[in-house]
Amino acid sequence: MKRLTILFFAIFGMIALYAQDSTGLSIGGQLLSNERVLLKKGNPWAWNENRLDLKLQENFSGNAKFYAQVWIRNIGLPQVGQINDLFNKGIVDPINLEIRQAYVQINDFLVKNLDFTAGRQIITWGTADKINPTDNLNPLDLEDVLDFGRRRGADALRFDYYLNNDWYIEAVAEPFFRPANMPVGIYANLFDPAQFITMPQGLTMSSFSSTITLPDNKLSSQFIGGIKLKGFVAGFDFSLSYVYGRDYLPLFKNIDMQVLDAQGNTAVNVDFYYPRHHILGFDFAGNIAGIGVWGEAAAFFPKGAIKFTSILHTYDMTQFPPQPVTYTVDSTLQKKGLPYVKYVLGADYTFPDGIYANFQFVHGFLHERFNGGLNDYYLLRIEKSLFYDKLKIAPISGSFIVTDYKELKDNYTLLYMPQVIYKPNLNTEITLSLGLFGGKGKDIFTSLKDLDLLALSVKYDF
Amino acid sequence: MKAKHILLILVAFVFSFNTKAQTAQQILDKVDQLTSAPQDAKQTIRMTLTDRNGHEQVRTAIIWQKDKNKRLIKFTSPAAYKGIGFLSLPNDVMYVYMPAYGKERRIASSVKNQKFAGTDLTYEDLQAKSYKNKYNAKLLSKDADKFVLELTPKERSQYSKAILTVNKDYLPVQVEFYNRGNKKAKVLTFNFVKSGNYWYAKTMTAKDLKTKHSTKMEVLSTKFDTGLSDDIFSVRFMKQ
Repeated sequence: MKRLTILFFAIFGMIALYAQDSTGLSIGGQLLSNERVLLKKGNPWAWNENRLDLKLQENFSGNAKFYAQVWIRNIGLPQVGQINDLFNKGIVDPINLEIRQAYVQINDFLVKNLDFTAGRQIITWGTADKINPTDNLNPLDLEDVLDFGRRRGADALRFDYYLNNDWYIEAVAEPFFRPANMPVGIYANLFDPAQFITMPQGLTMSSFSSTITLPDNKLSSQFIGGIKLKGFVAGFDFSLSYVYGRDYLPLFKNIDMQVLDAQGNTAVNVDFYYPRHHILGFDFAGNIAGIGVWGEAAAFFPKGAIKFTSILHTYDMTQFPPQPVTYTVDSTLQKKGLPYVKYVLGADYTFPDGIYANFQFVHGFLHERFNGGLNDYYLLRIEKSLFYDKLKIAPISGSFIVTDYKELKDNYTLLYMPQVIYKPNLNTEITLSLGLFGGKGKDIFTSLKDLDLLALSVKYDF
Repeated sequence: MKAKHILLILVAFVFSFNTKAQTAQQILDKVDQLTSAPQDAKQTIRMTLTDRNGHEQVRTAIIWQKDKNKRLIKFTSPAAYKGIGFLSLPNDVMYVYMPAYGKERRIASSVKNQKFAGTDLTYEDLQAKSYKNKYNAKLLSKDADKFVLELTPKERSQYSKAILTVNKDYLPVQVEFYNRGNKKAKVLTFNFVKSGNYWYAKTMTAKDLKTKHSTKMEVLSTKFDTGLSDDIFSVRFMKQ
């Protein structure tokens, strides 16, 4: 603690040294209203979000910059359950405030061409479009499933050393581990762990409880760090990276099933934890014959074998009175030292008539883990701009997900989200989207099939 | 005697041809000398984009320029475009930065023909490169008021040729760009004014002849020879 306090004062003392005359605080940002209604009887509301996204920046003449991004939001609908709730404005009209980023950046820190950034920041690694397997330094923000790929800021110290315009080295140190946050609202059940548990024959889950173990409250356990080399060779941007990280999503460690009665009612308790891993990353982006191409891959090496233990407490009914008996089964998800690889390959092209096409193949989505647990995603978007970008239509936009090629007809998901985007002026964007979901199988996106929706979002940049 | 006459005619022909070629190159040299005379410049500009129906969009940007071959453009407004950057460096090295993604991209030579941020100017148009280094010149005509040069690209380009009109003060007045199908595709028009010892384009308008869309760039303020640091012309500064 003492060391952290010294570090804090050292950093801000350095900032005071570097920061001389200020150019004044500039305020910008975005106002967003995002509404979704389900296409089913009664048209229940699926999403209501009104967000003021404030971006504050102040530059100092001594090569220093302060930047902050703050969300002030009203999300969801009032959850009033009793008369007393009406006396609580926080329940009647819930507003939350989120500091997405708040950092200070010093250029030419100690030596020329070294930039130092301290504070909460979103560290952008990877060249793929929204789905970046090499981005393992920012906690996942899964709040809105349809805004996949969103990350929260990480509390980090970052060093960027520019060798020249094409090559630089980036090193990141994060002293605190912060887990991913889960979906909310109608999407809250998508990641419900209970749905992933297969009960032994004859038993029914009557209750579910869970325990999450965070990493120990010490620097060595919480620390996440990474280093990246970025360069340009033979017409392609590329980077190589390494992260000493932790899974931002909790994994099963123990499943404890307690049979409660002769009818087979069973209480299930699950222990979760956040395993360590080493991650090697590679990405590239470039252009071949006018077609933009990119690729990104990350190999995850679990530190130690990843396994979970199932414990069943039941009764031997062959005896009278029935005798308690315990069965224990260890299941290995990933052997020690054996990596699993997630990757993305993509291409985009703008045709002479202004039609833009973007295709990505993704092996292993954000929430998927381990060999055998990674699904394939084919994402395609075709859009056409009209009236000098005032109107954009995307009649083909969506994803086809395959969970099992051998039995494709029972193991696929189709997400179809055509859009119309209208820009009445440069700063305003109105988007009308349709979300039609279908499929069969156990993929979490298949559970969206009862949630077809119509969405309207209005954005205003200021 | 006959052979001597033939030789004289040949010499005269070669000489006249050479003079004409040299003149075109000399004119281009003078254009380059005048239009990029300052050691460096920092300009605040307003871009007005006009579509075929007369609807306008206005953007503002800052341009830093140095040593004839370094240029950085950063949008300052509107909010949706603020921070978008374009950097041109020697040896055809160009970068673009989109703050929404937090990533810079080096522009491959095969996509130099793409338009920058919705304007009528491509990355190739915005590249900081002198006419002399970009084109071979041929004098098409000259009169008391102007010279007309045909420019052909020295390297792979989106254009097959350009017709440059230069006034008697050796300042560009207009450039007509022809696409690879040899069809006139774009016209740039300039209005040069003098500030102190230097001439600069107070306004420049690019018109796409196919879409009838135009981009007018007006210089709102300009400062010359302030000793801009080389650090400004870097990916690092573009991203800040």
